[in-house]
Amino acid sequence: MAKITPNEIKILSKYIYDISGIALDQSKTYLFETRFGKLIEAEGLANYSELYSKAKSEPRKTLEKKIIDAITTNETLFFRDTGPFELLRHKILPEVIDAGTAKSSKLLPTAIKIWSSACSTGQELFSIAIIIKELLGDLKKYNIKLLGTDISDAAIAQASYGAYNKFEIERGLARDKLQKYFTLTNGNWKIRDEIRAMVNFKKLNLMLPFGALGKFDIIFCRNVAIYFNLNDRKKLFNKLADSLAPNGFLIIGSTESLTGVCPRFVPKRHLKSIFYQVR
Amino acid sequence: MGSLKILAVDDDPVTRMLIKKKLIKEDYEIEIAENGVKAIELINNTFFDVVLTDLMMPGGVDGIGVLEAVKKKNSQTEVILITGFASVENAIEAMKKGAADYLQKPINFDELFLRLQKIENLIKLAKNAGDLREAMSVTEDNAGHTIQNLELKVGELQNQLYEIEDILLKYDLDPQDRIESALKTIGA
Repeated sequence: MAKITPNEIKILSKYIYDISGIALDQSKTYLFETRFGKLIEAEGLANYSELYSKAKSEPRKTLEKKIIDAITTNETLFFRDTGPFELLRHKILPEVIDAGTAKSSKLLPTAIKIWSSACSTGQELFSIAIIIKELLGDLKKYNIKLLGTDISDAAIAQASYGAYNKFEIERGLARDKLQKYFTLTNGNWKIRDEIRAMVNFKKLNLMLPFGALGKFDIIFCRNVAIYFNLNDRKKLFNKLADSLAPNGFLIIGSTESLTGVCPRFVPKRHLKSIFYQVR
Repeated sequence: MGSLKILAVDDDPVTRMLIKKKLIKEDYEIEIAENGVKAIELINNTFFDVVLTDLMMPGGVDGIGVLEAVKKKNSQTEVILITGFASVENAIEAMKKGAADYLQKPINFDELFLRLQKIENLIKLAKNAGDLREAMSVTEDNAGHTIQNLELKVGELQNQLYEIEDILLKYDLDPQDRIESALKTIGA
């Protein structure tokens, strides 16, 4: 496998930052080699400089997409970290529904908009959809929009297809939920149509403007900003604050903090979990 | 050298005995069942790492029936099907239903041991990944708890600062009064 030189690390890190906002630790040589070594061989390239030149020169950006797929971390589980989902079920959804029902006329269904902003392969958004289905039952009375976005094409493709192998499915998902909401198809577990139909996925780079998506009642932005530098984190959470509907809720990763990042958000506690609202 | 717990299902007593003998010799823990019905009984009461089953069996429950029962009980159990030459197509269909692999009759035991080794390696890898996730989850829980408490404390202090700022900016009041009332907000 080709060895990466310090200069190549510098060039490649800058390139990855420009296309994804991901700030890589330049001291981690192994990270570049394990993530891109196979790609270099598969593309028939000699070294990392060639990888960079080819990616830059391709008008259709095929290699750029592969680089993003390789560098993004898709560590995700169904109901990863139970806290936020309990929070959603017992506190946030009931509040959003109450407020929405009070606001909407009797003729129109209550609108609820939720965004999983770094949805990876879709587990977070499907977990949210399952909770909504269990909590609300008949969805006809509601106009529910569930959106999942991610920067990785490969992740979005898998999320859209909604199938998971047994290693992806096993942890986090209780057996009764697995049987109820998934079917075994070609050796993989595929989300049932009734849940799949509730959600939409699309590719999105959080570094770019996303105001056009409109306002959301609830935004999940968990464990993605950790890969950004402080300045980009500040910009991101400011944009997220703009994208929240009045009294909307933001949920971030359990080890993330907005202190010194975005003073517009106030942390609030419900039982063991924290959520944020705009001051 | 195996550490897997295996159930072998075959209606032919000679094949059953042969499989049992060979697997015991390789140190695998093995149980046998003479038909699908018996196999399902065993599967429902005990966990097996691998179920090795004949595809065509009389008595109402064939290899596919065993496979379906296994996957319903515990998706962590792997199933290897043993098939006659004529039923390879069926075996491929079975793999779509979640079988890990298939072997053609007569059983080539070297091949079987290779498949079992592969499954054992996969189980170890999955366990490693599981252990890592568990360790990450415990670390994350602990760190999360600390960070969230700090986050709330900072939020509280920030609010106090805003309150103090509001008081201190009330220029129409006497400066001494402003200072005293600001100090009161922090209990001083």
